[in-house]
Amino acid sequence: MKSIEVKGLSVSYEKKRVLTNIFLNVESGNVYGVVGPNGAGKSTLFKAILGLIDTNSGDINVLGNDINEVQKRVAYVPQKDDVDWSFPATVMDVVLQGRYPHKKILQRLNAEDRSIAMQALEDIGITDLADRQIGQLSGGQQQRVFIARALCQQAEVFFLDEPFVGVDNLTEEIIIGLLKKLAADDKTLLVVHHDLSTVEQYFDKVILLNQRLIAYGDTKTTFTKENMTKCYGPQLAILHKTGMIG
Amino acid sequence: MNDLILILTEPWAIRALITCSLIGVMYGVLGCFIVLRNMSLIGDALSHSILPGVFFAFILFGYSTIGFFMGSVVAGLLTALLITWIQQNIKTKNDAAIGIVFTLMFSIGVIGISWLNNEGGVHLDLKDFLIGSIMGISNEDIVLTLLITAYTVGSVVLFYRYLFITTFQPVIASTMGISTKMVHYFLMLMLSFAIVAGLKIVGVILVVALLITPSSTALLLSNKLKNVIMISALIGLLSSVLGLILSIIYNTPPGPAMVIVAASFYFIAALFSPEKGLVLRTIRSYRQRQKIEREDILRQAIKHDAQNPLTIAKLTDRLGINLQTIKKHLKHLSENGVIINGNEISLTAKGVGQAQSLVRAHRLWESYQVQTMGLSEGQIHDEADRLEHHLTDELLDEVDRKLGYPETDPHGSPIPKKSKRLNKSLISQRMNVRLRILKEQVNESVESELWELGLLPNTYVTITKITSKKVVLTQGQKTIEMEPDLAGQVIVSKK
Repeated sequence: MKSIEVKGLSVSYEKKRVLTNIFLNVESGNVYGVVGPNGAGKSTLFKAILGLIDTNSGDINVLGNDINEVQKRVAYVPQKDDVDWSFPATVMDVVLQGRYPHKKILQRLNAEDRSIAMQALEDIGITDLADRQIGQLSGGQQQRVFIARALCQQAEVFFLDEPFVGVDNLTEEIIIGLLKKLAADDKTLLVVHHDLSTVEQYFDKVILLNQRLIAYGDTKTTFTKENMTKCYGPQLAILHKTGMIG
Repeated sequence: MNDLILILTEPWAIRALITCSLIGVMYGVLGCFIVLRNMSLIGDALSHSILPGVFFAFILFGYSTIGFFMGSVVAGLLTALLITWIQQNIKTKNDAAIGIVFTLMFSIGVIGISWLNNEGGVHLDLKDFLIGSIMGISNEDIVLTLLITAYTVGSVVLFYRYLFITTFQPVIASTMGISTKMVHYFLMLMLSFAIVAGLKIVGVILVVALLITPSSTALLLSNKLKNVIMISALIGLLSSVLGLILSIIYNTPPGPAMVIVAASFYFIAALFSPEKGLVLRTIRSYRQRQKIEREDILRQAIKHDAQNPLTIAKLTDRLGINLQTIKKHLKHLSENGVIINGNEISLTAKGVGQAQSLVRAHRLWESYQVQTMGLSEGQIHDEADRLEHHLTDELLDEVDRKLGYPETDPHGSPIPKKSKRLNKSLISQRMNVRLRILKEQVNESVESELWELGLLPNTYVTITKITSKKVVLTQGQKTIEMEPDLAGQVIVSKK
């Protein structure tokens, strides 16, 4: 089922073009890897779809609506380093934020919200950390807290920006397992990803981006050497040498 | 004391006490968000810049509480708008823009009020507006303060979620449809109301201290925002009330007295807070250093044996720690039954276990660095030396699993297996229990001493008596006596 439709999207910061004329159809039930070199506009694409930044042109449609109509059903897991981890908040406090969009303006959180949050913690394997201050967690645990919040939101579309940066292998396995399970439940998942060696293993579909849309579709037919050369240019040879891709 | 109570029950003092309590709580609550949002400078700016509002309000309405209130709020909002305008349209750094605007507003206020005194023949004491005054709190002031407190504290309680998420992670608030801009302006409005409420008693210069000091204190004491807010409110209340009483006793302006009390709480917390206080942190890091030095001694001890015994001289030489400290560590280690401390230092079975888990940590980490991070053999030793003291068993098991349970480290040395808890030293066992002497002992000298006593591997013994001089064992019909030191090194099993 079509869940995101992007038609003719262009974005620029100051005078610099970041995204040019992107057309994209994203289908639910898949884990999409969003791949491209640094500065390719991957995070910008997410922010544009989420309505966080102004766009120059283009129509964006999420779950058949304008993004402002469906915010409750869309979860965002940003890069974890733009947060003050010394903030006086526990894991549970942060995960419960996932319930906020479901509440009316003065409505309070209740036992049901708490049990949904506990379930999210259990799904990602950090139940025992519920009362821990967030700064006392390892990088992998911090990332799992953010993903637990997205689960707690019971969203249908998930945007994850580099969820595997600075996390341990165990966390990476748990997260990717969870993403595949969510896809099997007909959710839509988009993941900005850097490590080209795991693309084929992790993603059903890929979106290759370098300011323009290079290609997108099934990983098997899209993640080809030809497309990757188009996307990365001369950088690709270096990636080969350093073993980032085989 | 009685005099003080008499003074405090006078109407003007009661009015001052009520006002102080209210603003103490209100500043404590609001201050948490001001500090967490890095808005301390804005708080200071807003409070200074309400002064021209007071001046113009006096010209328009005379000496009127409600006039001062309106004038101040207008001046505060004008300041906020001007700052925002400069930040968005002129290439000046953000904090410089704040500084430029608030000092300008403050100066206009100071000149205006001085002019009123000189030319207008009006008695409007500038000093009272700058550092506060106990006198002159009217019933109107109390009502206004009460309303503002109810409004701000009530808003924080009702809209807690919105304040929390926009402060913690504004971008997530935006994706949830919460307007961070709205929340920001809402907070600024509450802040300017709060500042006006404190104008008469604290004065514009010191208001910021009562906003940021109690909340910074609370942030040292708790890791949960709701608790931080409540602690901050309490400290705000105590600071303002105690400060007021002190200012009455010593006949000083109230603002500075409150600030001194608040700052005293802050420094007490900075030193003695259980988790973040300097004192306990220093003690913890001292203990950690002690632990590391003791572990280094164990690492040295396991490298030596009867043929090449470890002495104190060798330890001071290898570890670069002075003799006195080494002796202290050795005493501690032997009291804990980890080493046997004589002319030569040797490990007990317990000590061998501890030393081996350090070796395991060191060698596993070296293997991990080589295999997973691609470092060369020359690069890894120092890092492993440092980390062996900090790696938890849980983490090491994970590393072990990832590496596929390697037998040797990158230098070819064997990696000890995780110690099993079944094996213990002979001396730690209960009497009259059948114990098996294991084949693998901590070192060859123990093995040969056992051999000389006629205790062969995999035979069974029973302890019949333990004294400080000897341990008495029976094996079949034989009775064997053993030095307690040796008994501490012999590894046995109940199975």
